[in-house]
Amino acid sequence: MVQFIIRRFAQMVLLLIGISFIVFMSMHLAPGDPATIIGGPTATKSDIEAIRADLGLNKPVLVQYIDYMNGLIHGDLGYSYRTGQSVTEAITTRFPITIKLAVASMIVAIVIGITAGIISARKPNSMLDFASTTFSLVGVSIPNFWLGTMLILLFSVNLQWLPIGGLNSPFYTTEGFKELILPAITLGTSTAAIIARMTRSSMLEVAQADYIRTARAKGVKQRKVVWVHSLRNALIPVLTVAGINFGGLLGGTIITEQVFAINGIGRLMIEGIASRDFPMVQGTVLLVAGIFVFINLIVDLLYAAVDPRISYD
Amino acid sequence: MKKNLIKSLAILFTLSLVLAGCSGNGSNKASGSSSGGAAAQEITYASTADAAGLSPIDTNDQPSTNVIAQVYETLFTLNPKTMEPEPLLAESYENPDPNTWVIKLKKGIKFHDGTDFNAEAVKYTFEQIKDPNRAAPRASLLAPIDSIDVQDEHTVVIKTKEPYGPMLAALAHSNASIVSPTADKKGDINKNPVGTGPFKFVEWVPGDHVTLTRNDDYWKKPAKLKKVTFKVVPEASTAISMLQTGEVQFIDAIQSDLLSRVKSLKNVNLKISEGTRVSYLGFNMDKAPFNELPFRQAVAYGVDQEAYVKQLNGLGEYNESIIGPKVFGYNEKAKEAGYPYNPEKAKQIVKEHGYSSTPITILVGNTGNYMKMAEIVQSQLSEIGLKVKIESMEWGSFLDAARTGNFEMTFLGWANSTGDGSELLYPNLHSNNIGSSNNVRYNNPEFDKLVDESRSTVDQEVRKQKLNEANLMVIKDAPMIVMDHGMVSVAYDKSISGLTVDPTGLWYLYNVSRK
Repeated sequence: MVQFIIRRFAQMVLLLIGISFIVFMSMHLAPGDPATIIGGPTATKSDIEAIRADLGLNKPVLVQYIDYMNGLIHGDLGYSYRTGQSVTEAITTRFPITIKLAVASMIVAIVIGITAGIISARKPNSMLDFASTTFSLVGVSIPNFWLGTMLILLFSVNLQWLPIGGLNSPFYTTEGFKELILPAITLGTSTAAIIARMTRSSMLEVAQADYIRTARAKGVKQRKVVWVHSLRNALIPVLTVAGINFGGLLGGTIITEQVFAINGIGRLMIEGIASRDFPMVQGTVLLVAGIFVFINLIVDLLYAAVDPRISYD
Repeated sequence: MKKNLIKSLAILFTLSLVLAGCSGNGSNKASGSSSGGAAAQEITYASTADAAGLSPIDTNDQPSTNVIAQVYETLFTLNPKTMEPEPLLAESYENPDPNTWVIKLKKGIKFHDGTDFNAEAVKYTFEQIKDPNRAAPRASLLAPIDSIDVQDEHTVVIKTKEPYGPMLAALAHSNASIVSPTADKKGDINKNPVGTGPFKFVEWVPGDHVTLTRNDDYWKKPAKLKKVTFKVVPEASTAISMLQTGEVQFIDAIQSDLLSRVKSLKNVNLKISEGTRVSYLGFNMDKAPFNELPFRQAVAYGVDQEAYVKQLNGLGEYNESIIGPKVFGYNEKAKEAGYPYNPEKAKQIVKEHGYSSTPITILVGNTGNYMKMAEIVQSQLSEIGLKVKIESMEWGSFLDAARTGNFEMTFLGWANSTGDGSELLYPNLHSNNIGSSNNVRYNNPEFDKLVDESRSTVDQEVRKQKLNEANLMVIKDAPMIVMDHGMVSVAYDKSISGLTVDPTGLWYLYNVSRK
């Protein structure tokens, strides 16, 4: 087990170095010059040259990469071209907000998804199943952007129940909890739908298994069959999907953050890309990539916890 | 155990629904800062993007300027009605000779850090803007200045290499705001701005908001508002929802497709007025057939700007002059000096010169109204027999392509933030700026000479005349065709009064109050 973890960590470091190289090069080689954007339309040639020199963009790309990696090894992600803010500082202030949003969305997704999945699987092809699968289909298909805007119009503008902008208060306060509801539903719905479908099909599959038939033959009650024998075994693929989606939630909050004026990592990344703020993009992409890899590791370890047949020794 | 699990799942599920419902019971009107607060002299403005920084020397973007204009002040300011520069921090000025500007400063003004505003501060600020090591994005604004000298505590003498006509307009630009030298030497005014303006800086949470408070020691009567918040709301439709619920009280630069929604809000006033911004269709003058006058004439005759302006729902108006009605140097005669919509004539020219066989690509940046322009122009040009394709590009990449001349035809705009015609014609069309801001790569020595003359005299009447001549020349030559002259728009809660907007789109909160 320990060896497995060590090996995975080593792979993770190599992977992240590779990612840093690809992101760095693609940002520098893609069209669009940060100095032109900082200077704005009114800047003259000499203004732009001065800005380029100031940012160190006139050095060869490879030298810039080596400088960057050198900083990275020392824990320095560099400074934003646009605002001059330290990238590490920007990430550490914004990341907790995104985590808060992603965790809340995950709770929404798991609660709704697993419940709907179980309801479907218990009586396949019933009205309830139909309703639940319809919800899944709609949930996956609705774009976050539209759902968020509609929720705002309904719950904030018309009913005036919930506030619109930002996640500014701590989540355990009433204000903070209310701020979290709409963004969490917006972000969590599609994941809930995926989890619901996964739970349903996985439960149905498990229901065909020999040990379920045996359990039923022994006269075990339906409820026990569902909750003990089926659900636990059916949860393994659900766990994978949920894990991967959690990574996706952390990296995919861009639209939800945009719609709800939430000051998280997603917006930091998209603003960085729009203004060719290379250090900011590199920092945020590395972070999200790192999280993805890390969550995959956790999911692998969780398999072992859920399914005793899986072992990494 | 299993019973508990199913129960708790069911409870959680219903709870999440019920909680969403319960929270609506009664008293909470979404967010406290709404119009309910009796005359709380506070205002929140929704900004579509965060400020890049709060130093006038080191930034050149609209969200930054919006904050800077409340915290800092300039020597001169443009009268929003006449667009003529008037003294602000300056008391008066004189030109003993065309290369010398002797500017007397107002006395008894202090920066927010308690230090004195004086000639030293002006010298320091301008030298910082000009310093290549500082890499100020708007260094070009003061490029014609040769030296800045302190004559006495309240008199500064600015010398130029050659006479510089738009000097006062340049000094009225927010990027030429005077900063506290002490604060700038000691710390980072990009994060902790220190000016002389009616509002003082309190905090900046990057990506979220900037807060200002009233400067009670302001050199004029203190402002009425006590607190101003600039809240970042990137999504325009969300900002309108927040305006509706009272979470913010003020938005600006409204998109034309959202205008009808803003108009329908009962708690909101909408103000639209003439602006200085011009949007244009530009030709790459280095490439054939775009460098042929008949081709450009055919396009000019073939484009019906009124059809486009109609889609702006009142947020733009059309006339043929490149220097717009709110810009210094505008002359009524230029309004109809171009090529009015005449598809028949356009077709004829296209036919005569055989332009219909050449496929044309219009490069479009994916921001603002440019895509809308492109679609309309594409269909109109197809009508006159041209083969037109649209290529859209992400804005950052687009700017690069436009600057390096990597396009055939494109759409661009100019904010005219100095409100001076020389500062429109020189950057956009003077041959000195090919490769930077002269995106259409227009090179006409005769035109250059007129623009140079408009810049190099301080006699404002002569300047007007030279600008008019240059304007007429370039309208006829048509390296760019006007699409519209933009309008500036603000929408604000009805509890707000005293809000005015400059034609440049800039606004000042000094006279604003809430009732």
